Amino acid sequence: MNVLVTYPDRCVGCRICEQWCSWKHEGQVNSTKSRVRVNRVHSKYLNIPVTCMQCAKSPCIAACREGALSKNPATGAVIVDEEKCIGCRRCIRACPYGAVGIDKEKKVVLICDLCGGEPQCVAHCREGAIDYVPLAVADRGQRAAYVETVAATMEGGCR
Amino acid sequence: MAELKGLAGRILRVDLTSGSVTKEPTPENIFAGYIGARGAGAYMLLKELKPHTDPLGPENKLFFLTGPLEGTLAPGANKITVTFRSPLTGTYSFSLCGGHLAPEVKFAGYDGIIIEGRADHPVYLWIDDDRVTLKEASHLWGKLTHATEDAIRKELKDDTIRVACIGPAGEKLSRFACIQSDYHREFGRGGAGAVMGAKNLKAIAVRGTGGIEVADPAALEALAEKVYSILAGNLKAKARRYYGTPEMVDGTNGIGYWGTRNFSTGYFEEAGKINAASMKEKIFVGHSSCYACPIACGKVSYIKDGPYAGTMIEGPEFESAGLLGANCGVADLAAIVKAVEICDTYGLDTMSAGAVASLAMECYEKGIINQADTGGLELRFGNGEALVALMEKIARREGIGDLLAEGSKRAAEKLGVPELAMQVKGQEFATYDPRGCKGMGLGYAISPKGAHHMIAPTMGPETAGDGSRRLEYKGKAALVRETQFLLAIVDSLSLCSSMRFAMGLKEQIELYQAVTGLALDEAGAMRIGERITNVERLFNLREGFDRKDDYLPPRMLKEKMPTGPSRGNVVELDSMLDEYYDLMGWDRQGRPTEAKLADLGLADLWREVNY
Repeated sequence: MNVLVTYPDRCVGCRICEQWCSWKHEGQVNSTKSRVRVNRVHSKYLNIPVTCMQCAKSPCIAACREGALSKNPATGAVIVDEEKCIGCRRCIRACPYGAVGIDKEKKVVLICDLCGGEPQCVAHCREGAIDYVPLAVADRGQRAAYVETVAATMEGGCR
Repeated sequence: MAELKGLAGRILRVDLTSGSVTKEPTPENIFAGYIGARGAGAYMLLKELKPHTDPLGPENKLFFLTGPLEGTLAPGANKITVTFRSPLTGTYSFSLCGGHLAPEVKFAGYDGIIIEGRADHPVYLWIDDDRVTLKEASHLWGKLTHATEDAIRKELKDDTIRVACIGPAGEKLSRFACIQSDYHREFGRGGAGAVMGAKNLKAIAVRGTGGIEVADPAALEALAEKVYSILAGNLKAKARRYYGTPEMVDGTNGIGYWGTRNFSTGYFEEAGKINAASMKEKIFVGHSSCYACPIACGKVSYIKDGPYAGTMIEGPEFESAGLLGANCGVADLAAIVKAVEICDTYGLDTMSAGAVASLAMECYEKGIINQADTGGLELRFGNGEALVALMEKIARREGIGDLLAEGSKRAAEKLGVPELAMQVKGQEFATYDPRGCKGMGLGYAISPKGAHHMIAPTMGPETAGDGSRRLEYKGKAALVRETQFLLAIVDSLSLCSSMRFAMGLKEQIELYQAVTGLALDEAGAMRIGERITNVERLFNLREGFDRKDDYLPPRMLKEKMPTGPSRGNVVELDSMLDEYYDLMGWDRQGRPTEAKLADLGLADLWREVNY
């Protein structure tokens, strides 16, 4: 099973991912209906992509009292049942990443559905700032960053 | 919802004097006839502004207009234009800003924002979809641009709100004050920031939650994919991505038309210290992109050590490196970065700022001003420290900075050396020395907003191959005319000009048709380009501008370039002007003829507005 991984250090903030996400889902470019969002931290010259991380035990699903959220067993994506969703926004507040949005017209929540296994944000990111990788290796970069920090303290290397 | 697809369908009109805010239907016939943005702005300014309007008075207006492509899937559609009568030149002027402001305005449901009148105290405009309010800005007055953006996002409790604002330079009515957005994107040239300052309008903040309908989604999607794939393999686009706009330093300096030491020559011996390779090695730390751009030419720079340690900006752009660098003889990257930071945070056009600094330096070297005038600054060419100190004086209008904030033309006249100001109609040159690229000289001369490089950027075709064509006169008038129309189209579509790496006129039209559903062919588009160019000319004609104002400074016409690969060259302008006017169907005084106006369907408009 694959999950989405973001690399904020690579993101340049072009928001082409937002464009394609809303375009493919809604037939229109609309940032508020994109399941992926890029926030710019101007003071640090950073662009931080924010999207669903496909939590194994999804807080959004746990928070939903209407049974509107479920997991696609094939992809692991959280699927919104628009009939059941009452737009209470409990899942928005439960999400550790702030990755859940809401459709102001339909008044139902918006969660990444992984485009059925071919995420369009990944397909259109020219910077490699978002990737779709096997869960088992998803966060190797985190460990690498830690290893680098430790190594930096060991000045002489193996000597 | 708009009939014409690609439009939001409404334009916001804000009268700061009365505080009234109205939402008008977008004049679709104007957008169809002039495409949008720059074209529509030129028409509206001519139509709505009374003759001889004081640029810094309440009657001047700011037309912030987008085109049909923003907020759609169209790649590189991220520009918003501001059109106004310039306090620097007295002419029609416009300036384009990239970043993320344009799509946000469309998402909020507007094709543009018209600002009129003058508030009696500092305010900012808050556009939150349909809810539009003027808010108190006294607490923001005096703040630098970055701090202003941050404060507005904080008080409105949303870090994704887009802000366009002025800094202290705009408040103090510097004639080349810009309007800043997304920290380092700006409506740079012509002094729109001073117009905003004169209106007591500190900022415009925008949040939009809507979307834009397009006519042919399948065609638009295919075109977007095509543009991405062309750009991915395009060498010029790759150079932009890797090096940003400074990738042009080597090419421009290498054949000797990079304005150096107040355009005393076109070749900077120390260019290697401030070229793209040097920036990449010494100061670039990251990338930054405007909305929907598959190139991402923005480069983040950071100064690690020395007196300016800790300075961080997006840039320097090619033009800033040229005018604050080569043209001031400064080869110190850290000083250039610091100077750009001062311009961006105080809200000054880096190009004009560099040009007035180089004027001051030449005056200092020639003994026209001395240390008593400069407040102790040793204002010699090449002195980066003095450049930085001078930028602060200009930004705050302190000492000699007060005079220089008036722009190079006024400053040089006051100092008794008008010939030393490298400007046309009061607008300072861009970084190209026209003696080494003749078409650019004609472009500077006939530009409706004064010497500006993007009215007719002919340098590409002029320097192609072995580069020798740049020194020829033959065909230059026709090239300038054609390029001028093509750029009027690009600007009116509100595409970033870098998209021309992937899209010629044919592809731009395909994009326009997919979005709007309107039929247009290449001849029709060029006719629109010609119409826009004539409307711009008419505005200036009404203000008394004609051939006498289409001249370059005597240095370009008489002083042979002393060094570099373009050595020995001057610009022979008169014959190019004659040829250009003839091709345009204008008389030899540069006035559109009755026949030409009738041909373009502008005769009635001209009769109506020329009173």
